Formats: sequence, structure tokens, C-alpha cells
Amino acid sequence: MANKPLLIIGAILLALLPVAGAAEEDGGKWLAVEFPRDSPVISVGFDFGPTTVSRRGSSMMLDMHAALVLRNVGSKPICGLTLRVEAQDLTPYGKGSVIKPSLFVLPGEEFPVKVDMQLVRPVSAARSESAMVQVTVDCALFSDLKAYGPDKLNSRRSLLVYELQARRDRQYLARLLDSGHLPELREELNFGIQDFIPRQLGLELLRGPRSAMPEQALALSPVAFPRAPIQPLSGAAQVAGNEVRAPRVEVRNTSKMRVASVAMGWIVRDDRGTDFVAGALTSRSPIGPVQTSSITEPGTLRFSRPTGQPMVIDRLMTYVNDVEFADGTLWIPSRADIDAATQDPTLRRELATSPEEQRLATIYRRDGTAGLKKELKRVNLVN
Amino acid sequence: MNSNTAAHPSVEILGLYAAGDLPFLLRLRTAKHVRECAGCERQVLSFRSSRAELRREAEGQILTGFEAIADWHALERDMLGNIRVGVAASRCIERVGRHRKLTSRIAWAAGMTALFVGGWFTRIPAEDNQRIVSALRRAVGLEQPQFYGTVVRSTPGGIAVGAQGATLTMFHPESAVISMSGPSSVTARYVDDDSGQVTITNVYGQ
Repeated sequence: MANKPLLIIGAILLALLPVAGAAEEDGGKWLAVEFPRDSPVISVGFDFGPTTVSRRGSSMMLDMHAALVLRNVGSKPICGLTLRVEAQDLTPYGKGSVIKPSLFVLPGEEFPVKVDMQLVRPVSAARSESAMVQVTVDCALFSDLKAYGPDKLNSRRSLLVYELQARRDRQYLARLLDSGHLPELREELNFGIQDFIPRQLGLELLRGPRSAMPEQALALSPVAFPRAPIQPLSGAAQVAGNEVRAPRVEVRNTSKMRVASVAMGWIVRDDRGTDFVAGALTSRSPIGPVQTSSITEPGTLRFSRPTGQPMVIDRLMTYVNDVEFADGTLWIPSRADIDAATQDPTLRRELATSPEEQRLATIYRRDGTAGLKKELKRVNLVN
Repeated sequence: MNSNTAAHPSVEILGLYAAGDLPFLLRLRTAKHVRECAGCERQVLSFRSSRAELRREAEGQILTGFEAIADWHALERDMLGNIRVGVAASRCIERVGRHRKLTSRIAWAAGMTALFVGGWFTRIPAEDNQRIVSALRRAVGLEQPQFYGTVVRSTPGGIAVGAQGATLTMFHPESAVISMSGPSSVTARYVDDDSGQVTITNVYGQ
């Protein structure tokens, strides 16, 4: 009789004690990399690296660090690529993507793409025949700014913005190089400055408020680019501690063209007076010429420092990040627009930082002026 | 009336104590009692003197098999006495053994429980724990069911989205710049050390 409770405890332990599983030998069971037949890129190399599948309590954990080698099998240079990462357990509620902007991959050339991800799913969840994680092309952008792909994630617009920013920044840096403005170039790329790495923040997007702190209305400060086709007029948001709720901004289309979508950039200033570019929210409501419209975001944004400590919000600024017209063309602020928008050098740098400038700055810091010149020449901007 | 009467050891215990045959702990307890109880002390002394007398007799006499059998009554008395002492001794040992078994089983169960609790908190994901705690709280009425929808959040090592009990995390280096790229998506941007290319990971919720 005395053994009965012990047997029950033993049975529970056996059933629930976490047991690390062995690494899965057949990785293809978990991941499928599939490109359509007419895709301009194909996978020519595949390495699972230290990918593991283990069991943690009632959950199964797939820890994947895959490296793909892709080849441009099309006839045009590829400037950007988005790979869509879908897990059957989260579809359609959540998915991921890996974006490679600022590429210049000629036909026949190869380039690497890493997919570092983790999937935690209940062991009891039903599993279909298909692979647990599927990677496929969502959009490829060519040098003539034409695109390929199903574009389920609206990747074309993002890739186009990145490419326009890349061309703008390459031209700007090439001009500095050609005209011998090396001190300005050094200042632009922050060579040797400790805080070169852009400021970091933690973000959480919520459906509804979580903080119990009292709300207070905070007026938005617009940062206007004089020649932008959309001008922010005013705006407000409810702020509770580190949560921003229902931000709203009034804008006017000052152009003669119909606007299909507007991405409003957000800058958050914390209680220490430091500015952070929080990102951009895109409104897809069309705005006719000279019309005024209200852009609202019903969700809640929660900000924190990278350590997880809540960030107290002192001020919110908004600016027009990019505008898409009804004819499919895009507007982004030029360097002159950014210079005219603010006298604050820190804020100006935050507005001008693009993925391409980040990449070129890394080359400049590593290889100096000669390396930067060689890279710009590679993309045919410096002779 | 002596207040220690209820705690008097049995005659068998005293007999075994007098002969030095008790287990250690029981011997200590009996010795303490005997020191404080005159009656038991007398009983023990009596056992010891009888034992000494028997030993002396045994040493003083050289009994042949025939003579021993001739003294049949004395032999029967000795044998019955020895049997009684043996039976009592085995009962004492059995009782002590039962205590030891029980103690060791409790210790084993406590150890396994500690191992289980430790394993649970170090290996079970926090999301599972929160789910279980929430379910228990809801079951006893301490918490109302809430709907938060899909949440996308960034950590220093990755961006995660959770739905339907599953979580997808896209990893990035700690140097990555985090920003939102839409009403339900968070982006991490970094320069890949190996390729020198910019990589942007994006996680979308709904």
C-alpha cells in the first residue's frame, strides 16, 4: 500500500519530466524550401547547421539555423529579395520573413541567405503531411524596379522603398567622394565614433491596452518635409507609461496626384531626451489631390529599453516616410528634404539612416575610402 | 504514581538491553529510562545477575550429553527462555526496520518531487507556465477570460509572434535595430558579419 503513492508520483514524473530530445537527423521533415518554377532565384546550396528539435515539457521546440545559397537565374540584376517563412501551426495568424535589401546580384551570381528561427508548438497539436516550416519567395525586385512574386506580405512596396533609399544614399556618398568632401563623408558615416550603432529599443504590438496607469493625451509634433506630397497637420495619441494607444494624425495631400498609401514614420523621445525612430505605420486609405485625411492606428504600441525596462514616453513626433501614388510610383524624402526638415543633427541622422547607409558604413569602417569607392563602382555609381 | 510508568520499556526490551542486544537508538532511549527509573534499573540488574550466574554455572560444570538430558526441566526452561528472547528481539528489529523504510521512502519522494519542481521551472517554457497558471486561476474563478489577440514582441535576441499555443521567433544579433514596419509587424535590421549584406527579419501578427 505504501508503494502506491510513489508509483503515481513516478508515473507523473515519467510523463511530464522534460526530456531533451535528440537532434533530428532528417531535417527536411521540418523545413521545406520551395521556389516556383518561374522564380528568378533558385536554391543551389543548403546547410542546416546546428538545427535541433527538442522537447520541453508539453511543447516541442524546433531551433533552426539554416543557410541557403541562392542563384539569380533570371536575366536582370536583383536588387532586393523577400523570403516568406510560414509555420503551419501559426498560419494564418503569424508569419515571418527574411528580407535582403540593397543587393546587386547579377544574373548567374550566387548569394547567401540565413534563416535563424525557433518554433515552439504544443506536442499535442495536429500535424499535417507538409513540412512544419515552409520558406518561399514572396517578392524579388529587379534593377529596373519591376518585381516578381506573389507579394502576400506587401514586400514589393518595402523593397522599393529600400531600393530608392539605397540609390539616394549611394548618390549622396558618391558625390561626397567625387568632390573630395572627405571630412563630411567621415562625419556622415560616423567613423570612429563610439555610438555609431543606431539606438535600440524594445517593441511590443498589442491589440489592446495592458498598462493600468492613467492615460493622458499627448499631442504629436509633425516633422515636415517642405516638398513632400503629404503634409502632416496635427495629431494626438493616448499615452500611459510606456504604452502609446490609438495614435492619430491628420494629413493633407498637397500634390495633384491621387495617393494610394502613406507610411508615417514615428519618433519617440524618452524622458532622458533621447530620440528613437520607432518605425513606420502604413495607411492604405486613398487620398485625393488637396484632400485631408485622418490616419489612425487602433492598436497599442509598447516601448521598452533593450534590457526590458519600460521606456517613459515624453514626446512623439511623426513624419512622412514614403508615399505611394495611385500609378504605383513612390516618393521618399531626399537628402535636401531631410536637411530642410530639422536643424537637430541627431534627428537628421536618424531620419537619413537607411539599410544601405548602414551597409556602406560597415564597408567604410572596414576598408576605408578605397573600399567604399570600390563598392560604389560595383553598382556603377562611381567611374 | 510515577509519571514515567506509561513509558516503561517492556520486559523483553529490558532483557535485550541487559544483554547489550538492542539497536543503537533504542539502546540509548532505554539507557536513559533505566537511569531515571529505579524499578527498571532493578529489573536490568536482575537480568544481568541471572546472566552472570548462568555463565558461571556453565563455566563451572562440564556436562556430558547424558547429564544434560538427565536435567530435562532445566534444559526446557533455558530453551523456552531463549526462544522468547529471540522472538522479542526479532519483533523489536522489525519495528525499527519499518521506521527506517518509511523514512527512506519519504526522503525518496521528497527528492523526486524537488527534482520534478526544479526540472519544471528550468525546462518548461514560461508561456506554458503562464497558460497553466491562467487556466487554474480561471478554473477557480480568480481570473476572467481575456482576449489579447496576437501579440508581436521584440527581445534582444529575436522577434516573436504567438498564436494558437505556438510561438515563432525570428532571431537576430543583439546589435540589430528594432522598429515597427506596420500595424502588426516588427522588424530587425542588421549587417550580417559573414556576407557584409544587410539582413532584415520581419515578424507579422494578425
